[in-house]
Amino acid sequence: MSVTTEVAGRSRAEVEKVVDLRGMWIGLAVLNGFYLIVRIYEQIYGWRAGLDSFAPEFQTYWMSILWTEIPLELISGIGLAGWLWKTRVRDMSTVTPRQEMKAIADNAAWLVVYAAAIYWGASFFTEQDGTWHMTVIRDTDFTPSHIIEFYMSYPIYSIMAIGCFFHAKTRIPYFSKGYSIAYLIVSIGPFMIIPNVGLNEWGHTFWFMEELFVAPLHWGFVFFGWMALGVFGVVIQLLLNIHRVIGKEGVELLTGA
Amino acid sequence: MEDRMTGKSLDIPARPYTGEKSRLSRAYDYLILVLALFLFIGSFHLHVALTVGDWDFWQDWKDRQWWPLITPLMMITFPAAVQAVLWPNFRLPLGATLCISCLLIGTWITRFFAYHMWNFFPINEVLPATMLPSALVLDAILMLSNSLTVTSIFGGMAFALLFYPTNWPIFGMFHVPVEYGGAQLTVADLFGFQYIRAGTPEYLRIIERGTLRTYGQYATPLSAFCSALLCTLMYPLWWYLGKAFATTKYVKNI
Repeated sequence: MSVTTEVAGRSRAEVEKVVDLRGMWIGLAVLNGFYLIVRIYEQIYGWRAGLDSFAPEFQTYWMSILWTEIPLELISGIGLAGWLWKTRVRDMSTVTPRQEMKAIADNAAWLVVYAAAIYWGASFFTEQDGTWHMTVIRDTDFTPSHIIEFYMSYPIYSIMAIGCFFHAKTRIPYFSKGYSIAYLIVSIGPFMIIPNVGLNEWGHTFWFMEELFVAPLHWGFVFFGWMALGVFGVVIQLLLNIHRVIGKEGVELLTGA
Repeated sequence: MEDRMTGKSLDIPARPYTGEKSRLSRAYDYLILVLALFLFIGSFHLHVALTVGDWDFWQDWKDRQWWPLITPLMMITFPAAVQAVLWPNFRLPLGATLCISCLLIGTWITRFFAYHMWNFFPINEVLPATMLPSALVLDAILMLSNSLTVTSIFGGMAFALLFYPTNWPIFGMFHVPVEYGGAQLTVADLFGFQYIRAGTPEYLRIIERGTLRTYGQYATPLSAFCSALLCTLMYPLWWYLGKAFATTKYVKNI
């Protein structure tokens, strides 16, 4: 039995690969390459142009980024969702098990890039802000660190979350009807961090606090950060589908049960 | 099935299935592992930075009263949630260790590349605390007992009680006293005074200052046991929170 499966699998594999990770590698390379450049940029222009927000060079080197990134992100997010919707599978009943398997693998690859974006936003650039708070007595909401953390890295992972959600919704039959609660949490939860930035900036501006990083004003971020754990449910849903598509025989082959 | 229980079954060489489906399931293993790695670094680190951040960032916040109380309490959260998914569903006894390792990778990268390389705080001033020994014990207790109750009580307690002793080898040396300007300081205090932080005046530190109600010599064990009690409660809370996040439920409309 296993021999026939292997042979059949191999001949079909030449037709269409189920696991094709090129998109993921490109996504990871672009994302990491981009943030590496950002990190080098802030090393140079954080010190050279980012210390006094009333100086003209702050406009040139920092505010220009803010005014560019926000519309760019807005367009990218809407464009990505629109493109995924436009190219959706119109009739899910035509999806073969093999195509379904590929869609699930693709979605897992999307989630990897999403997680990498979460890493940069929630881990690197967030805690990095803690040290910039200890370097300047800030004179604006839009410090170099905030321009990158709040208005670049957070929107980027929100866009990725939207991408993951729409990819599943438009490509995988299981997700196409109704809404997976876990996937909603994963895609909307982090997005809620963006409005929370508004609350944060407002609070900091009108009640200057000494820079306690664990201040209650920051706990909204913590709460919305938990929402990334919705990926538990998403991955379990993906695995349930793999289990179903791979079939009883496949499970026996893999587990030896 | 019976055959496997006999001694003879050991002589039969294992021939794992290597077909396409096997390669496929391997690919998922890696994808999900990398996904988990990045995701837990990101979300757990965010949680920790904004709840125990200041104690974890600075050498002169690592005191006897608050640091050993808050750190285990806030760091047992995600490990419990991840264990609630990985152990019952997959029998993977590494939830806590995975989480804490991710956290340490995230904090170390930031401490080095942001705190040190960007803003030039010496790395010894911004060393993160470790919960790795605690996490290993927590995982082992869950694996051996297979019980939420036993892990909550003994695992939760061990998680907190091990914190200070296992960090002492890292941070003990910064408690050496020095005489500076006629006053007695620790090396950790000196770090705080020497390497100027624009937003952390000395009085902002939430650290032990002594009270008239304190029997002075017991501060650390008292904090550790208080944290241990709270961890036994925090653990099941976050276990069920983890379970809730692992929902596969659907809604028709949003």
